[in-house]
Formats: sequence, structure tokens, C-alpha cells
Amino acid sequence: MADTLTDLQHWMHRALLRPEEANPQEVDARLTPHPRLSPSGALAIYQQSYRLRIASCMREQFPALCHALGQDLFDDFAAEYVRDCPPESYTLYDLGRRFAGFLDAQRPDRDSQTREVWVDFVIDLARFERDVFVTFDGPGAEDLPPASPATCDADLRLNPSLRVRAYQFPVAQYYLAVRAKAAPTPPPPAPNHTAIVRQDFGTRIVPLRAGHARFLSVMTECTTVALALAELGPGALTPWHDDPGLKTDWLRAGMFVAADAQT
Amino acid sequence: MTTQNGIAALPQLGLGLGLRNVHFEHILTHWPDVDWFEAISENFMDSQGRPRDVIRKVADRYPVVLHGVSLSIGSTDPLDLDYLARLKTLAHEVQPQWVSDHLCWTGVMGLNSHDLLPVPLSDETLAHIVPRIHKVQEVLGRPLILENPSTYVGFKDSTIEEPDFLRALADQTGCGLLLDVNNVYVTCFNADADAMAYLDAFPWDKVVQMHLAGHTDCGTHIIDTHDQPVRPEVWELYATAWQRTGGASTLLEWDGNIPDFDTCHAELLKSRAYMGGAGFQQVLDAAQIAPATGVSNPVSFLVPDVMDAATPADQG
Ligand SMILES: [Fe+2]
Repeated sequence: MADTLTDLQHWMHRALLRPEEANPQEVDARLTPHPRLSPSGALAIYQQSYRLRIASCMREQFPALCHALGQDLFDDFAAEYVRDCPPESYTLYDLGRRFAGFLDAQRPDRDSQTREVWVDFVIDLARFERDVFVTFDGPGAEDLPPASPATCDADLRLNPSLRVRAYQFPVAQYYLAVRAKAAPTPPPPAPNHTAIVRQDFGTRIVPLRAGHARFLSVMTECTTVALALAELGPGALTPWHDDPGLKTDWLRAGMFVAADAQT
Repeated sequence: MTTQNGIAALPQLGLGLGLRNVHFEHILTHWPDVDWFEAISENFMDSQGRPRDVIRKVADRYPVVLHGVSLSIGSTDPLDLDYLARLKTLAHEVQPQWVSDHLCWTGVMGLNSHDLLPVPLSDETLAHIVPRIHKVQEVLGRPLILENPSTYVGFKDSTIEEPDFLRALADQTGCGLLLDVNNVYVTCFNADADAMAYLDAFPWDKVVQMHLAGHTDCGTHIIDTHDQPVRPEVWELYATAWQRTGGASTLLEWDGNIPDFDTCHAELLKSRAYMGGAGFQQVLDAAQIAPATGVSNPVSFLVPDVMDAATPADQG
């Protein structure tokens, strides 16, 4: 078949995304037979590779969710996900970006009055694992001046890697248990606030009180402690105003850096 | 000419290893006696975390080559200039000896298969790829080095043999070639072609680098899995290739079931036994290991190692 290169590539890429729709006559018209493999059998190597590669990368990016669902069910979800949201980026690091949103959009109880708790957990865990993955390789504080107990509040800045999140389940504990090979069972709901932060290339999880999470969230927008307090309104105080130990803990977890001399 | 120096100026680096996540700690601790490292560009180019830090440190101590899997030089989609800009930034930072990718396409319609898909080898494809190589070389300011991929299908539209196609690309653009000896074996086995005849036709004067890797024999076909030792048949081809290139830089790829650093290094150093050009009595034991996933996957992640902060878990 005298395809243009464009036609051929469009056809072949579609055959990878939707193997069941690849018409055997079209395969035979484009690909040469080999003594040991039919054209469809040869094409199937690429189709299978695509499926296996995506599944394996998704498992690496969502290890706790894979544990929670079991590998077979996880692979099914991952396969459905890439059918719906085929990879667009040149980098596989982008692969899981839309996964939590996809799971939310596809939840089986979408139209029912009551929400299934386990579906909520699956989505919450997917969000958390994406947050961890992105924090690990995104902007960080490794090249910035560290903050110390001697750094005054006016000079505190947030570590650029810091993410302040609210989850409905204790997903961080579940994740850590999976990583420790403790085979945890899905936990009951327990709404919580969590900071995810990277220090010296190690990612840490810091539990937060609701008020502290609010302060840190506002500070990610406003940059400085003073601006965050102004944004929070009259009478607002730092979370550590009556608990200096909290500031020490947060400093130790790498949540702050010191302002550059220029800023 | 957009490339300041042609491929003739590129050095012979000796025996190198693929820079893999599982070996980072070992390399940074022991600074092993390896001639050079090849890094998968996509594993580092967007990193603002540990991988970027590691490649900077490695590039301070060793010659480094950047090897890409996403250039998609054969795609009919426009070249991804954002990708090229990021690659150029990384190259500026780590000053690689050269930058390579594959004769393949990875996707169309703005989508990415994350596979190295073959192109039909024809005059139309040649005419499509040549200006794209020129553009890439112009952006990067250096010659591009292109690798022969492993292929599992043949196209009815193909009219040119792969060695001749690569020769034409190199002649028309000044690009260099990365001869993956294992890919030659895999492609020829799958196409029922003669690997020695492939080597006989190869433009040896264009070869800047070679790859060695292990594959998985599936009976009816072979898959380029990079998850086990180099097979004796591939070592045999390597001995010929070593002679004909006059000692081109050689790199061992290991991407699945990756053993410890010393085991990978020992596998690489086996190549010394094949540099004499004599017979192959030394053919080394290459017992086949069960494949990790049955799929070649050159882009692996450094999985985040998350710690509980030493902060009191006072929730409220
Ligand atoms: Fe290769």
C-alpha cells in the first residue's frame, strides 16, 4: 500500500492505542510477513510493549494505589486511563498527571446519591502519590540558603518544594506502610492536612493542624510571614507564636529557607 | 555547516556504562573506574531534584554522553522545539561528548507512544528526515548521532536497506551513527536477515559509538529487553564491529533487572575479550535470565524515598 508517511504513522499509532480496532487486512497491506510471524503478530509486539510499558510506569508512579487495588485491577485502571488520556508529553514523568482527575471523572458512583468510601480513598491516594512524585523532582531548596533557629521571621521563606494538602484519608501513613512492605489494609476516612516537602533531595511528610495548614497555604501565595498574616486578617499570629518548638520542628523538616540578601 | 566540528573530531571514549538510578549511590560513593557514562537525556532534562544533581556531579568527573529517546526524528509531527530547548540546556550544563537519539518516531497527532517505532526506509522518509536532522543540529550546534533501532515489523513501503539508509542520512547531514550491535542482531533475526551482511553494508566511517545489551528470545522473535547479559551471538558481532570501527566508544545498556554496579561493569569489561579479532573461544557464559517485563524500557524513575518528618503528629 502506497501510504504517505503521515498516513502510515497515524494508522500505526492508532493501532497501538486501539489494538482491537486494527483491521487485519490493513495490517497485511502495510506490513511484510516474516517466516515466523504474521504482520498482525509483529504489530502485536508493539501493541503489547505499549501496554506493558505504560502499566509498569504507572505502577512505579503509584505504588501504594497499586497495592490498594491489587496489580490486575490497577493495570485495568491504568489501561483505561491511557485510552482516555493517551500520553501527550515527551516525558514519562508526565504520565500520571491526569490520573486522579480521570479516576474522579470515571467514578462508578458518579450519579448515585451516596458516595462509595473506597472510591474516595482511591482518588485521595492517587492525588497524594502524584504530589509526592512531583515534589521529588520539582523545584527545591537545595541551592538556597537554609533557615536556622537564628533566622528571624521576617527572613523566613517557604521551601519552593513545599505542598500543603488536605486529604480525606490518612494516605501518607498508608503510603509509608506500603513502602515499608507492611501490606496495610485501606484505612477508614480521617480528614487531615499534610505538608509534603523536599530537603536535601529527601521527601518528607509533615502532619499539620488545620490552622497551620491555612497559614502555610496563604504563605505559599504571599511569600513572607508578614504578608501572610496581613492576608489572614487582623489579629492573626504565626502558628509558632506560643509554641517555639513548632518552628524548630518545621525548620528541621526543611519547610523554610532564608531570604536571599537581595530579596 | 551548522555543526562546528564534524563527527571526525569526536573522541574514542573507551568502555562506558549507562547511568542508571539504582547505581547513583554507588557511583557517588565509590567513583568507580569507568571510562565514561551515557545518560538518558529525558531522565535528567526536566529534573530539578536528585537526578539533576547526580548528573552534574558525574559530569564533573567523567566524560558523559546524552542519549535521547524522545526526539522522534522520523515523526511527521513538527519537531518539538520545547524539547530541543530543554535538551540544549542540559547539554550546556553537562557538556556531553555528543548527543544521540534513534532513527525512529515516537508518536504523532501530539501523542507519544513512548516507544521507538520504526520508519519505512524509503526515499520519501529520507527526504522527510534529512531537513529535520539539519534543524536539530542547527539548534543544538553539534552533530546529532543516530542509532539503529530494534525493529519487529517490516513495511511494504520500505525500499532501502537500513545500513544504506543510515549512510544516506549521514552523508546528507553530517550526522554520526551509533551502531547498536544487539539491535542489529534483533532486527536481523526478526526480519530473517543476515546480521553479518548488515555489518558488511554498514558505513563504518560514520560510527561514533556502539551499544551492547541483552535481549530476550521469544522463539518466533527476539525482544530488545536490556535486562540480561549480552548474548554470545551479539559478542560475536561486536568483535567484528570493534575491528571495523577501529575501536569506537562502546557502551553497555542494562535497563531491566539491573544488577549491582560491579556486575554491570564486569559485563562491560567482557568486551575486552572480543577486541583481539581472534576466534571466539572465549565466548562467555550468558545464561538467559527471565525477562523483567518483556519490554524494553529505557526510562526508569528514581522512586521518591519518602520519610515521616520527625515532627509530632499532632493533628487537629
Ligand atoms: Fe541502544
